[in-house]
Formats: sequence, C-alpha cells, structure tokens
Amino acid sequence: MQLLVVKTLRSSKHLIFLSLFLFGSAGFSQYPDRAIEFVIPFDAGGGADIEGRLLADQMSNVLGVPVVPVNKPGAGGAVAYTYLMNSAPDGYVVIWNSTSILTITNLGYVPFTYDALDHVGRVEFQPLVLAVSANSPWNNLESFAADCTSGNQVLKLANSGTGSGTHLGALSITSAIGCETLHLPIGTRRRNASVLSGEADGMIAPLTGVINLAKANRLRVLATLSAERNSVIPEVPTATELGISSLFDLFRGLSVPKGTPKEAIDRLAEAMIGAAKSEGFMRFSEEAGFTVEPMEPADFEMLLAAEDNKIKMILENTEFIMPNNN
Amino acid sequence: MDLGKKIVMNGDVLQGFLQAIQPTSLAATAIGCFLGIVFGMIPGMTISSGIIILLPLTFVLDPSISISLLLGLYVGGMLGGSFSAILLNIPGTPSAAATALDGYPLSVQGEPGRALGVAVLASFVGGLFSFLCLFLIAPRLADLALSFRAPDLFSLVFLGLTVICSFAAKSWIKGLLSAVIGLAIVTIGQDPIMGTARFTFGDANLLSGVNFLTALIGLFAIPQLIQSLGEGQIINNTTQPASMSFKKLLPASIDIKRMRLPVSIGGIVGSLLGMLPGAGGPIAAFMSYDYTRKTTDDSQKFGKGAIEGIAAPEAANNAVTGGALVPMMTLGIPGDPVTAILIGALLIHGLAPGPLLFIERADFAYGVIFSFFWANIFNLIIALAALRLLVKLVATPRSILMPTIAILCVVGSYALRNSLFDVYVMFFFGLLGLAMKWLDIPVVPLLLALVLGRQLEENLRIALTGSQGDISVFFTSPFSAFFLGIAVISIIWSIKNTRKVRSKNITT
Repeated sequence: MQLLVVKTLRSSKHLIFLSLFLFGSAGFSQYPDRAIEFVIPFDAGGGADIEGRLLADQMSNVLGVPVVPVNKPGAGGAVAYTYLMNSAPDGYVVIWNSTSILTITNLGYVPFTYDALDHVGRVEFQPLVLAVSANSPWNNLESFAADCTSGNQVLKLANSGTGSGTHLGALSITSAIGCETLHLPIGTRRRNASVLSGEADGMIAPLTGVINLAKANRLRVLATLSAERNSVIPEVPTATELGISSLFDLFRGLSVPKGTPKEAIDRLAEAMIGAAKSEGFMRFSEEAGFTVEPMEPADFEMLLAAEDNKIKMILENTEFIMPNNN
Repeated sequence: MDLGKKIVMNGDVLQGFLQAIQPTSLAATAIGCFLGIVFGMIPGMTISSGIIILLPLTFVLDPSISISLLLGLYVGGMLGGSFSAILLNIPGTPSAAATALDGYPLSVQGEPGRALGVAVLASFVGGLFSFLCLFLIAPRLADLALSFRAPDLFSLVFLGLTVICSFAAKSWIKGLLSAVIGLAIVTIGQDPIMGTARFTFGDANLLSGVNFLTALIGLFAIPQLIQSLGEGQIINNTTQPASMSFKKLLPASIDIKRMRLPVSIGGIVGSLLGMLPGAGGPIAAFMSYDYTRKTTDDSQKFGKGAIEGIAAPEAANNAVTGGALVPMMTLGIPGDPVTAILIGALLIHGLAPGPLLFIERADFAYGVIFSFFWANIFNLIIALAALRLLVKLVATPRSILMPTIAILCVVGSYALRNSLFDVYVMFFFGLLGLAMKWLDIPVVPLLLALVLGRQLEENLRIALTGSQGDISVFFTSPFSAFFLGIAVISIIWSIKNTRKVRSKNITT
C-alpha cells in the first residue's frame, strides 16, 4: 500500500514536471531547483508541528525537492512571521500559518498587518468548540447559557492564552450569549486538565484538542462555533443553529514573503493542494479531527480579509484591552 | 475508574508484552537509546529535537516499532544529557543541570568513570521505578495529578524555589541577589497572562523571553572556557592528577550503598513530578538533590563530587520519563514537549493516546508501556558499553577539547530555535557568568529562578484570576497548604544548617 502511494506520487511528480516544461513561463520554469524552507511558527511536537511536518513531507514528494521543516517558535508566532517578513521573496521559504497570523497582528505583537505577507492558500480548518467536563451539570448549550446569564456565579472559561484564537472565540460566544465569564489563559498544556479538575467550568478549544477525551466520555462538547455541523462530531449542534450567533473556525495554510513571484506561489499552491489531498495527510486528518479543504490563493485572500474584520469586531465589541499599544 | 479494573494480568497485557519483545521492536528500542544518548550529549540538541529528526521515519514504520524507537530516544536522551554535564560541565538537557553540580567536580578529580557509572545505575533504577508506577497505578495516579490546580502548582513551584537557600549558604545576600537577577531576567518577554511585552525594546526576538538552555550554555560553559584559556592545561583549581579507572564500569559496592537513599528520593520525586503537566524534569532533579543533601549527614561534600549528589538528580530525571507517560497514556495529556511529540507520532498511525486506547487497543497501550521497560534495560546496557569511550573523551587534549566546546556552544544555542539572536544571548550570559564568578556570586540560584520563575508567575496569576484576587486559595487547598508548609520547613532547616556550618563553604 505504502509503495503504491509513493509510486503514484512519483508519477504525478513527473507529470507535473512535464506540464511545467510544456506550459511553464520562461525564466522560472526550473522552480523549484533546491530545498524549500518550511517555517513552523510553533514548538516541535504540537498539533501545528506534526500537521506541518506531514504536509511538508508530502509537498516534497510533489515538488521533487526537499521541503525542510524548521521550527521558529516564540511569542505565538510573532518570531516566525517577523522572520518571514525579512526573508527573500524567492519562493524558497514558506510559513505554515494559522489563525495566529490574524491574532498577533491585530493585538499589535508585531508592527505589521497580515497583508505584509503574500498568501499561498488554506489547507485545513477546524471548529472551535465549547467543551465542559462530563461530570458537569450542563448537557447542552442552553443550560450552560442559562447558568451563565443567571448571575448566581461567575463561570470560568479556560483558553490557550490571552489574545489567542481560543480566547477570541470565548469572547465571541459569551458576548453572543450575553453573559460575563472569567477567562483563564491557562495554556495548551494544562487547558484540558483544568476542565477535568473543575478549576475551569469549561473551555473554548480547537476540536482536535478535545476530540479524544470527548470520545472517551471525559469531556462533553456542547457546541461548535462553525457555520455547519462538523463531520467529525455530527451529533454536536452549532451555536448558530441554537440561536447564538458566534462563528470562529481556526485555519492553517501557507504564506510567503511579500513579492514572491506569482509562478512560485501558483506552483506552491498546486503542491500544497496535492499534499493536502494525499492519503497520508487525509488519514491523519480523520484521526486528529480537522477538515482538509484546500483553498487557492485568491479564495484564501478573501477568507483572510473576512476573518481579519471579524477579529477586529470581536476586539472592539468586547472592549478588549490591548496588551501592546505600539 | 474503569481503567483501574483493567490493570490486571489479562490477554492484552500479554499481547502488549509480546509486541514489545518482537526482535524489530527491541532493535528499534536499542537504536533509539543509542541515538538518544548521542543527541542528549550534544549541547543544543534537546531530546525534542532528536525525536523530531526521527519523526519522518515513523511516518513509514509500523507504530509499535516507531514508538519503541521514540521511547528509546526519550530515555536515552535523559541520560545522555547528564554525560555532557558530568564530563564537560555543559548540561545537555535542562534536567541534567543538577547533575553537573557534583558530577563535574568528581570527573575533574580524576574519576569520570565513577561519576558516569553512578549516573547510569541511578538512571536505570529511577527509570524502572517509574515504569512500575506507570504499569501498576497509572490510572489512579493520573486522576490525582489532574486534581492539581493553579494554586497547588504555584505552591509546588514556590517549594522548588526554596532549594535556593541551600545554595546561598556562603552568603545569604549573594545567593538571594543571584536569585533575584534570575527572576528579573524571567520577566523579559511577553507576560504569561496578558501577553504584554516587557523589556523587549521592540524586538520580536525577545518577545518569547530568554530560552533556559541558551542561558544555561552561556552561564556554565563560557566562564569555564575563559578560565581554561588562562590556566593552560588546567581546567579547574581542584584538578588532581588523573587516575582514571577504566576497569570498573558499575559502581563499587560502597558507592551502591551510598546511592540507596538518594535514588529512592529521586525515583519517587521524579515519578510524581513527571505526572504533573508542566512541572517537569529540572524541578524534580533540583528538589531531589536538595532533599538528599538535607537528609545526608555529611552535607559538606555536596558540590565537591558527592556520589549522592549525582545519584539523586539522575534517578529523578529518568523517573520523570515514566511519570510523564502516565497522563499521556491514560488521558492523552502531554506533560512535556517530548510526550506531546509522542502523541503526534501515534496519531499519524491512527492511535490516539488516552482512555480510549486502553479500551480499544489495550494490547497496543501495554505494548507502549513494555517498550518503556525495555528502553530502560537497553539504556543501561548501551550506556555501560559506551562508558570506556566516554571516559576517554575527558582525556582529549585541552587544545582540541576546548575549541570543540566553544563551537558546540555556538552551534547549540543557534540550533535550539534556529535563531542567531540566541547565540548573542548565550554570549551575554557567558559574560554574566564571568562577572558572577569574579564577584563570587553563586550561579545556581539564578539558574533555578530561570527554570521556575515563569511557572511561578503564571500559576500565581491564574490562581488569583480564578479566585478573583482572593489570596486564601493558597491556604484552603490541601495540596497547596501542604507544599507551602514544607517550603517553610525547608527554609528554616536551611537557616539552621547554615548557622552550623557557616565557617565552611559550599561551592556551587
């Protein structure tokens, strides 16, 4: 089976080379002719890292040159995006982006906006979910919302860090419910543990982070913050269908330095889409719980613009205190 | 819990055992251990980076073989980090920092073989003890460890900080000054709660603060390099004529007798702290070191090459590995970066660690646990076989060894985050280390503050956010109150002890 996959990929690689030879524009037809640096903005070992490495591996099969993952962790991605800003736009450096490219720019952790980079496309998305402990009294979003608005107690919601996608998602759903909660920026390492122990009453988390504990009946997923029900957990309703309009999906995709030649971006997009749809990547996505739905450069630009607006709205509506005023 | 009932000798346990003793799995474990020791020894190559290098291999390998390989690397890396701490005074991993305190002096006194032998044996026993924890009582312990909340973790970290007192015996002012410098350095970067930039001067590289290992390499290695420049052939004042014992690989029976207590302390502290997500190896190693010193009659020899001072942190940092596997295997919650990678590596094969794994694929789950057992066995065998070679490393002419260390420092600090900025940070800490040496300020309190400072602040602030500013949470939670109580006892003990032995110095 494994051999077969490799073989198919190899032949498709030749095919692509051939088509490039036939139709490729002059001057850039040799691209890529050396290794491509694949920057991962987070620590080795997290979800972003494993997914990125798998994608890079499959992309090198398509492109026929090594695609080398390099971790540049720090400050929620700020270090890596800054590195990319200062890299040569020659098509030999890409970054495995995420919703972080919108959060850190809007929070002012870096002195530029998301459009200071060019974007190759989206690879996948996953919903944020509201999850509580299986021992908690809440069986559905309605009862949680009722307790939250009653004012008898201040509920505590854990998130992965102040200003992270999970925090903004929490702000979005609580303002849609119309209640105030305490937001505990507990971080990814202890977030699930804090809900299981009761330290937090619930959490906003990416689906991939809670799926296995939910399957094992230790956590209960009350709602997703997606537009449609997710195929990984089809029994869980969306907040929107329960009348609480809060939408927040997390995405991952690729970006390159501003000014990278269009030929290179298109070639990368093609390889990215091929890699995303490869058997190895698809199988991993099913187990991990994210949805592979590649987007071409133009569509991704539109998505980014829309999401950027949404994040600005959340920050304004909730009177979020900007940590950095620069 | 249901899981508790499942931990009985049944078909799955046997299946798991058989899976782990397949020749291919065993070979993978052995290769993993070897690579782990090598990766662990190279400064800047953390266990995580070693595992990441091997990760693409696991995309194609069978899951039971992959996990054997990765577990071997995890266990081997912990030991390898201590080898460079003992031989070169450069801890290869943060967890090995405490081992350098006595391991390096003993090595310099001409007994590197003895120091390494003690480290290997202590690691082995510590690892085996944590295997027993993992195998016998994992699910129950996992639930206990999960009930730790932010106030409890704050108090635990605070307790860890009281270890500073033991290293400030010569001068309270200098010891505390060193700790405060460390705590001040920790405030560089984004604050852990609001993400506000502190002391970054607008530089994105400083947003994530100072990397602990980068600081460690600078603080330990640079002053030593400079000193060796000035002294030619001699590397340390305490150097004695070298009489290396190549023959004895395993510690002599008198050493084994002295190792008993420290190894027990290290094994227990390491296994327990390993289970707490985020607490980690360095605290376990330093705490075991401190407790061992307090319970040993002759605490004066610590810092000068005490066998006990090597055995305790070594047993602790290898016990942390088994401890960290407990929440990973039973709940799918990683306690450290390495277990996070292991979870990812298993996910690629459609195996999600967590409660379900014990229900759906119990044979595989037990296979992982037994692979951990074999990793410890192979670690012992491979390390002992490699000892002769390692001991010779110290005998390398200084003219070759010192430039090599200098290069390793630069490469190592770069490789941690692929950042040239970190190389400058490393040199800055080298200068700081030199200044502190010149002013006779102990370095260890600074080190401890660097490891623990961030967790201290984070847990304090999350606890206070959760309680809406009510300080009483630290005293009403039984765990927290317990840790704070021990912290107070620990401080009083240190003060009394210092008065007794003020005349003598404790070198750090």
